[in-house]
Amino acid sequence: MGQYLLRNLLQRLVLLVIVSFLVHALVHLAPGEPAEVDPNNPRFKPEDVAKIRAAFHLDEPLHVQYGLWIRDLASGELRSFKDGQPVLPKIWDRFLNSLPLFVCATLIVWTLSFPTGIHAAIRRGSTYDRSTTFIAYALISIPGFFLSYLAILWVVNTFGVPVIGMHTFGNEDAPRWFRGMDRLWHLVVPSLMLAVGGVAILSRYVRTQMLEVIGQDYVRTARAKGLDENTVIYSHALRNALLPFVTMFGLMLPELVSGAVIIEQIFAWPGIGRLSFDAILARDYPVVLTVTLIAAMVTLAGTFLSDILYAVVDPRIRLS
Amino acid sequence: MQAAPATPANTATLVDSPWRRVWQVLRRDRLAMGGLCVLVALTVVALLGKAATEWIVLFDPATVRLVDKFRPPLSQASALLPVRDLPPGGIYLLGTDALGRDVFARMLQGSFVSMSIGLVAVSISVVVGVVLGGIAGYYADVRLGPVTVDALIMRFTDAMLCIPVFFLILVVVALLPASIYNIMIVIGLTRWMGIARFVRAEFLSLREQDFVVAAHALGLPAPRIIFLHMMPNAVAPVLVTATIGVATAILTESALSFLGFGVQPPFATWGNILADGKNFIFDAPWLFFIPGCAIFAIVLAFNLLGEGMREAFNPKLQRR
Amino acid sequence: MRIKQLLTVTPIVLVGLLVQAYFWVPTYEDQTAGAAQRLSKFIEASIGDAKLLNPALHADASSMKIVDKVFDTLLDFDEQLQLRGRLATRWQLTEKAYLTVLPGAALARGVVDDAAGLRAVIRSGIDSGLIEMPPGLLAGIEVLPARTLSIPAGDTGSVEVSVNAPARLQFDLRRVEQRFFERLRPVLGTDYAQQADYEAWHARVDEPLREPLLATLRERFPVFEHNPEIGFELRRGVRFHDGHAFDAGDVKFTYEAIMNPRNLSPRTADFEPIKTIEVLGPHRLRVVYKRLFSTAVNVWTAMGILPEHLLSDTVLAREMEERELGTAARDGFGMRDSRFNRNPVGTGPFRFVAWRSDELVHLRRNEQYWDGAPHYQDYFFRIIPDTLTREVEFRTGAADSYNPEPYQVARYRNDPRYRVYSSPSTGYTYIGYNNRRALFRDPRVRRALGMAINVDEIIRYVLHGEGERITGPYPKTTHFYPQDLAPLAYDPDAALRLLQEAGWLRNADGWLEKDGKIFEFNLITNNGNDKRRHILSIAQDAWKRIGVKCNTEVFEWAVFLEDFINPGDFDAVVLGWLLDINADQYQLWHSSQATPKKLNFVGYVNPRADALIEEIRLEYDTQKQIALTRELHRVVADDQPYTFLFAPRKNEVLDPKIVMVTADGGIEPLRADRRGELYFFFSRWRKLAHAPDF
Repeated sequence: MGQYLLRNLLQRLVLLVIVSFLVHALVHLAPGEPAEVDPNNPRFKPEDVAKIRAAFHLDEPLHVQYGLWIRDLASGELRSFKDGQPVLPKIWDRFLNSLPLFVCATLIVWTLSFPTGIHAAIRRGSTYDRSTTFIAYALISIPGFFLSYLAILWVVNTFGVPVIGMHTFGNEDAPRWFRGMDRLWHLVVPSLMLAVGGVAILSRYVRTQMLEVIGQDYVRTARAKGLDENTVIYSHALRNALLPFVTMFGLMLPELVSGAVIIEQIFAWPGIGRLSFDAILARDYPVVLTVTLIAAMVTLAGTFLSDILYAVVDPRIRLS
Repeated sequence: MQAAPATPANTATLVDSPWRRVWQVLRRDRLAMGGLCVLVALTVVALLGKAATEWIVLFDPATVRLVDKFRPPLSQASALLPVRDLPPGGIYLLGTDALGRDVFARMLQGSFVSMSIGLVAVSISVVVGVVLGGIAGYYADVRLGPVTVDALIMRFTDAMLCIPVFFLILVVVALLPASIYNIMIVIGLTRWMGIARFVRAEFLSLREQDFVVAAHALGLPAPRIIFLHMMPNAVAPVLVTATIGVATAILTESALSFLGFGVQPPFATWGNILADGKNFIFDAPWLFFIPGCAIFAIVLAFNLLGEGMREAFNPKLQRR
Repeated sequence: MRIKQLLTVTPIVLVGLLVQAYFWVPTYEDQTAGAAQRLSKFIEASIGDAKLLNPALHADASSMKIVDKVFDTLLDFDEQLQLRGRLATRWQLTEKAYLTVLPGAALARGVVDDAAGLRAVIRSGIDSGLIEMPPGLLAGIEVLPARTLSIPAGDTGSVEVSVNAPARLQFDLRRVEQRFFERLRPVLGTDYAQQADYEAWHARVDEPLREPLLATLRERFPVFEHNPEIGFELRRGVRFHDGHAFDAGDVKFTYEAIMNPRNLSPRTADFEPIKTIEVLGPHRLRVVYKRLFSTAVNVWTAMGILPEHLLSDTVLAREMEERELGTAARDGFGMRDSRFNRNPVGTGPFRFVAWRSDELVHLRRNEQYWDGAPHYQDYFFRIIPDTLTREVEFRTGAADSYNPEPYQVARYRNDPRYRVYSSPSTGYTYIGYNNRRALFRDPRVRRALGMAINVDEIIRYVLHGEGERITGPYPKTTHFYPQDLAPLAYDPDAALRLLQEAGWLRNADGWLEKDGKIFEFNLITNNGNDKRRHILSIAQDAWKRIGVKCNTEVFEWAVFLEDFINPGDFDAVVLGWLLDINADQYQLWHSSQATPKKLNFVGYVNPRADALIEEIRLEYDTQKQIALTRELHRVVADDQPYTFLFAPRKNEVLDPKIVMVTADGGIEPLRADRRGELYFFFSRWRKLAHAPDF
C-alpha cells in the first residue's frame, strides 16, 4: 500500500514538472508583451517600456526565464507584471473570494444530482426519465453566458434586487444578519449558473451507474430475499454505485475553475477566474503561469486523493 | 426521411453487421433521431448559406444600412435605401443588427462557419488522439531510452488533462492572433486526450486478441494491422466522443466570443453574433435570442445524437 | 430509508436557504432597506480596476479617478478653464535671461570688451531708447563671472575636459519675455551669437571627441538663454491624511520622484523642461525651467503632490527591511514596489480606506479638508467588467452612477427614474493613414477617403447622437479649436473626382486602379472596443462603394501595439486619443516624433506644422498662442493625415436623487465644468431621500 502510494505520488510529481514546462513554453512562445501602457495615454514613452522589459527579465532566453520563474515562485518573490504585488498572496486572496462560490456550486451539484439521477434510473424509460434526460442535455447545451444573462434579467426584472458582485454596496452599517443574508443571496444566482453543467452531467452519471448496479446479481438477490425496494436501491445498490463517484470529485475541479472565468466575469465576482482572465489580457505572465500551475496541482491532488480513497475502499487495487 | 448517416448505409449490405444493429437501436431512440434530423437540416442550411452568401451572393451579410438599424424580424426595409442595398424581397427575415446588417444573412454565413469550426476542431482532436493513442497502445513496450513509448505519451496526455481546458484555450487564443484557423486548431489540440486514452486502452486489449496475433504472425505491416484490423474495433467510442466533441467545440467558440477572443470579423459565427447581441438585449432582443437559440439547438442535437449512439453501441445496456 | 429521506430533504433545505435570502436584499426603490446610511455613500461603477494609486506613476483612467480624489494638485482649471490655486495660493511667472559675454565680438557699434562694459552698453541703449524695453519688465542686470569647470567629453564620459566658460550677464525679468534678445538687437547686432568661438574655450582635444564636445558646449552654454521661473506661494495649514503637515519639500520631492529613472514614471516627459526646484521656505518655492516652454505651468494642474515623509529613500529602505524581501526583490526595490501605491496618503478631499482588487476601492471624506469636507461620507469605486450587468446593477440601485454606452443613453433619457448627464469630451476617434505608404502620400487621396465616409450617419446611428463632428487635432471644448472651420463634407462623388485627379480610375470590376494595381489596403484596430469595430465595418462598406478595397482586422491590444503601431507597419488604423487641455501637440504631430515607437506613428511630416508646433511652445502670450494653435489646427485639417471622425460625448447616468448643494445651502441640478467634467463639483454632491423637482 505504502509503496503504491509512493509510486503514485512520484508519478504525479513528474507530471507536475511536465505541466510546468508545457505551460511556461506555451505562454512565452506566443507573441505579445506585457501591456503596461494605457491605450489612450499619449505621454508614455517607449523608453519606459524598454526599462520595464529589462526589469522583468523579458530579454533573457526562455530557459533562464523558466529558471527565474521557478526560483521566484519557490521563494515567494514572484511578482505580478501588472502591479508588482507578490503573486501567491494575490492568488490566495482571490481564491478565498471564489471559495464560497465553489463550495455552494459543489453543494448544489452533489445534492441535486443524486435524487434526480436515482429516480431516473429506477423509472428507466418513464416520462420522468425521458424528461430529465432531455433537460439534462438541454442544460449542457445552452451557452453558459446565455443562460446566465437570462437568469439575471429574469431575477432583476421580476424581483428588482441586485444580483451582481459579492454583496450589496453601501450596507456596511447594516446589522450583521442583513449583511450575511445579503452575501448569501449574492451567491445564489452565480453558483447556480456554475453548477448547472455539473448537475446535468453528474445526474446522468448517477443514472448510468445505478442502472449498471441494479442489473447486478446481488441486487437481484436482495430483491429476491424480499427486502423492500427502497432498502434495495438506497442501501445495497447505491453503496456499490458510489465508488466511481469518488473519482468524479477530483475531475470536476478544473471544470469549476474554467467555468469560473466566465461566471465571475459576468457577475463581477472578484475571484480566481477574474484574476486569471485579467492576467491573460494584460500578459501578466507570472500570474497566468502560477494560476495554471496551481490548477494543475489541485487537479493532481484531487486525483491522488481519489486514488487513495479507491485503494482504501477497494482491496483489489492493493493487490495489483 | 433519407437521413441515414453514411456509415450504416455503406455497411448495410452486410447481413446483421454490428452497424446495422446499432442503426436499428438508434432508430428507435426518438431524441437521437430528432437530433439527427435537426443536424441534417442545419447542414443543408449551412451549405445553402455558404452558397447564398459567398458564391452567388443572394444575401450580403456585410452590407451596412445604418438607416435600418435594429429592425425587428420580418420588418420591411426602409424606403430610403438604394436598391442595391435592399435585402432579398425587401424584408429582414430575422431583423437587423446595430449596423443595419441583415441578421438572416449573418446567421446563414455563420452557420457554415460555426459548423466548420466544430467539425474541423473535432477532426483535429480525433486525428491527434487516434494517432497518439494508437502509437501508445500498439508500441506500448517499445523503449525510448529509460521510458516506454506508452509511458511517454500517456504522461504527456495526463499532463494535458491536468490543465483546465478552457483556461488553456483562453491563454493560447489570447496570445495568438484571433484567426478562425487558430481557434479551430487550438480547440482541436486541447480536446484529444480522452480519445487518446481509450484508443490506447482498446489497442492494449486488442493486441492480445487472436486475430491481431494472427495478423502479426502473417507478417503484415504495422500500419495495415493498425488501420485495417484494429482501428475498426475502436471506431465506435471515437465516433461517440467526436459527435459530442462537435457540440463542445461550438460551445467553446461561443464562450470565447463572449470574452472577446472569438472569431473576428469578417467571419460571422453564431457565437460572435450572440456575443455582440447580448449588449443590445433591451434594444433588440432578437439579436440575443436568435443566435442563442440556434446554438442551443445545434449543440443539443449533437449531444442527443451522441448520447443515442453511446447507448446504441453499449451492448451491456441493450441486454435489458 | 434514512438515506432516501436525506437525499430528498437536503436539496430542498439548501434551495430553501438560498432563496429566502432574497427577502433581506434592498431594491432600487428601497435602497435604505436595512442600511440607513446608504444615502451618504456614493457608488460609482467602472469597467476596470485601478492599477497603481500613485500620482507620479499611474497611467490608467481608473487609477486617475481615485488619485484625483485622494491627492491635491498645486493648481487646477476652474469652471471656466482658468488657472486656479489649490495647494498653491499664488504663483508668478518671471524669467532670468542669460547673455554670454563674448570678449572681442563685434556689436552693432564697437566691440565687447568685458562683462561690465557690455552691461554699460546695454544700459545706455535702454536709456537712450535705442533698445525698446517696456517699463517694468527689466528688474536688474547682474554680472556672473567667468568660470573654469571640467566636463566630460563625448558620450562615455571617460575623458574630462577643462573648459573656461566666459562671464555672463543675468537679466532679471518680471515676466517671461520670449523676444527679449530680439529687443537687444539694436545694440548687439544681428550676428552676435555667430561669433561665439567655443573651440577657444578649452584645450584642444583629439578628433573623435571634438565634434561631440562642441555640441555639448553649444547646448550647455548657449549665447542666449531663457530660464522662465514660476514662484509658488503654498497654502498654509494643509495636512496630509496622516496628520503630517504639507510643505514645499513635498513638492520638490514629487518632482524628484518623477525624474528618478528608477521609478519609471510615465510623466517624465512633462517635467523634463524643469531645471531645478528651489525651496525658499516652508511655503515658498521656485521652479526654474531650462528653456522657454509656454505650456509648462499646465503640468502642475495634473500632478498630485506626494508626501515626502512616507516615500523618501530612508522610509523606503525601512519598508524594505520590514517586509523581509529576498535579494532579487531588494535589488530593484523602489517607489514602484512600495506599499504606498496600494495605500495612498494625500491631502485631497477623500482619504483612502481600502482597495480590494477587481472589487472596489473605498474612500472616506477628509473631515479636515482645507476647502471644506465633501458632502458624501463614503465613495466606492466598484468594478463591474460586463456592460450589461453594469446596467442591471445600476437599475437595481446598487450603483449610483456609471458611463453608459450610447445605445443605453437613449433609453435612460426616456425614463424619468434616471437622469443622464452628457458633456463633450476632450478625446476624439479617427482613422489614421500611414502617411509613409505610397498609397496615402497624396493628401487628396486621404481627403477623398474621408469624404467617402458619412460621419454624420455614424454619429447618428452608431453613437446614437452622442458625439460631435470635429475638424482637427484640438479638442472642441478648448479655445485652441477654430470653431468656424467646417468639417469635411460627405460627398462620395467629389471623393471619386479627387481620386481621379490623383490617377485612380475605376476598372472593369468596379475597383479603383492605378498603374495596374487596385486600391487595396488593410484597416485595423484593437480588440475590445465595439465602436471602433463598427467604424471598421462602416468604413469598409463606404469605401467599397467608391471602389476602394479595404480588408479589416482586429487585434489584441498588446499585439496591435507591438506588431503594427510601434514599428509603423500598418496601412490604416481606427484609434482614438484622450487629450488633456494643452496647446502643445509636439508628440502627436511634430516630424521628429514620426520615428518608430513614437506617437506620430502615422508619419505626418509638414514643415509648416513643425514650425507652428515649435512656436506654440515658445509663445507665452495666451491670445497669440491661441491664434497659433488655430492655425496649426487648420494646417493639419488641410493635410488630413487622419480622417478626424468625431468627439464622443461623455455620458453619466445618475440617480435623480443626487443633487448639488449651493453655497447658501440650497440645492441645484448637477452640471459639468466647461471641459465637460461632471465630477468637477463632486465635493458638493449629495443624495436626497426623494428626487427633487427642478
